[in-house]
Amino acid sequence: MNKKLISLCLGLMCMALTFGICVQIKTVNNSNSKISQNYEENQLRAEVLKYKEKYDNKFRDLENAEKTLEKERENVTANNEELTKVEENIKKGNKVIGLTEVTGQGVTITLNDSQNLSKVLNISDAVVHDVDVLAVINELKNAGAEAISINDQRLVPTTGIICGGNVIDVNGEKVGAPFIIKAIGLPEQLAALERPGGYLNLLKEKYSIVAELKREKSVTIPKFNGVINYKYVQNAK
Amino acid sequence: MKKEKITLAITIAISCIALAFVMCMQFKIVNETDITSIETMRSTELQTELANWKSKYQEIEKEYDEVNSKINEYKTNSQENVQNGELLKKELEQVDMSLGKTDVQGQGIIITLRENGDETMKKITADDLLLIVNSLKLAGAEAISVNDERIINMTDIVNIADSFVKINGQRILPPYVIKVIGNQSYLESGLMGNGGQVDTLQKNGQDVSVEKVNKIKINKYSKDITYKYMN
Repeated sequence: MNKKLISLCLGLMCMALTFGICVQIKTVNNSNSKISQNYEENQLRAEVLKYKEKYDNKFRDLENAEKTLEKERENVTANNEELTKVEENIKKGNKVIGLTEVTGQGVTITLNDSQNLSKVLNISDAVVHDVDVLAVINELKNAGAEAISINDQRLVPTTGIICGGNVIDVNGEKVGAPFIIKAIGLPEQLAALERPGGYLNLLKEKYSIVAELKREKSVTIPKFNGVINYKYVQNAK
Repeated sequence: MKKEKITLAITIAISCIALAFVMCMQFKIVNETDITSIETMRSTELQTELANWKSKYQEIEKEYDEVNSKINEYKTNSQENVQNGELLKKELEQVDMSLGKTDVQGQGIIITLRENGDETMKKITADDLLLIVNSLKLAGAEAISVNDERIINMTDIVNIADSFVKINGQRILPPYVIKVIGNQSYLESGLMGNGGQVDTLQKNGQDVSVEKVNKIKINKYSKDITYKYMN
């Protein structure tokens, strides 16, 4: 009797063990595919990095070529007053569009997510949104900013700003908090953004978002790191 | 008899330990496997990232070739001022177009926002226009004007005392007519899709219409574009 009970017990145990091993083997099989996936992913990541590097190299080449082009332009216009004017206008225009690096006096504005979460009811209020950045940029332009960058992404005529999850997308590139907005213009005028009732003030008071404005003697704003493509528009005759 | 019992007890104990061990391992592996779903998501994300960089690379490659061909042109006709003059002027034309200093034309859409006189309704504000302009840029707009005020790189759109809108320092009044040049279907879907700016305004009861036009003319920025502080 006792023997029967024991062998039954052992039998059950063996079955459980077999079952465990079966599941085990199945999971291990699955994780094998995970490893291959990891491999694929790494491959993809490497590919992305490769293209990024290729892009960066090409961009450097392009920068050099543009410098040569500028020199070439200067060469051919050296003895011609009318053409020198044209050449200067090209240079000036490129500064305004954002195709050359510029320096000058101005301000830097830092926007960062709220550090004091106990103050906010809705977590979404504690985060800097795309519309916040857009509003600050608009106020800067209103205050006479001549060149603006967000985390070193230069604003060009075609720049759009959109929320992309927990980062925002500027010029198609992801930038995350803290957002450092640099602007060139008369600092006294740009500092008007700090006024009571202004957008920076609203962000600070209502949402306890970090919004600091600092006047600067000299800020450097990089050139646009892409190409402005025109496919549909042409000069009207 | 006693000896037999002890052996049995030991056997059972060992199998129990083995079982427990296997279960532990099992749990650990199952835990790890849960991450797999996130990792697959990442891989699709990586794929879009890769496509993105590929197209950016192609663009920059094209630009690089263009710059080089320009350099070559300048070099080959360095003696002939007339040709170089033309080349320079062509380059300036391109820059001016990008600046917004020229009248331009092309395919695109025209958006009309009307105020329907209903006092209870929220007015269309500068913020609405700013958001529309931003989403148009995201959809690849190449030239934009609002009530014939050309949107340039330095353009601001602000409310003045809640009574009217100023663009480029110029007062504008409703109805607001936004002209845009770019890919028609991109522009339209960016605005009309669920959650798009026009869609949102329409759901709030505003009178907004969008029209595709094959040839739109957008006027140039009427003032001089100057700067004082950039070097």
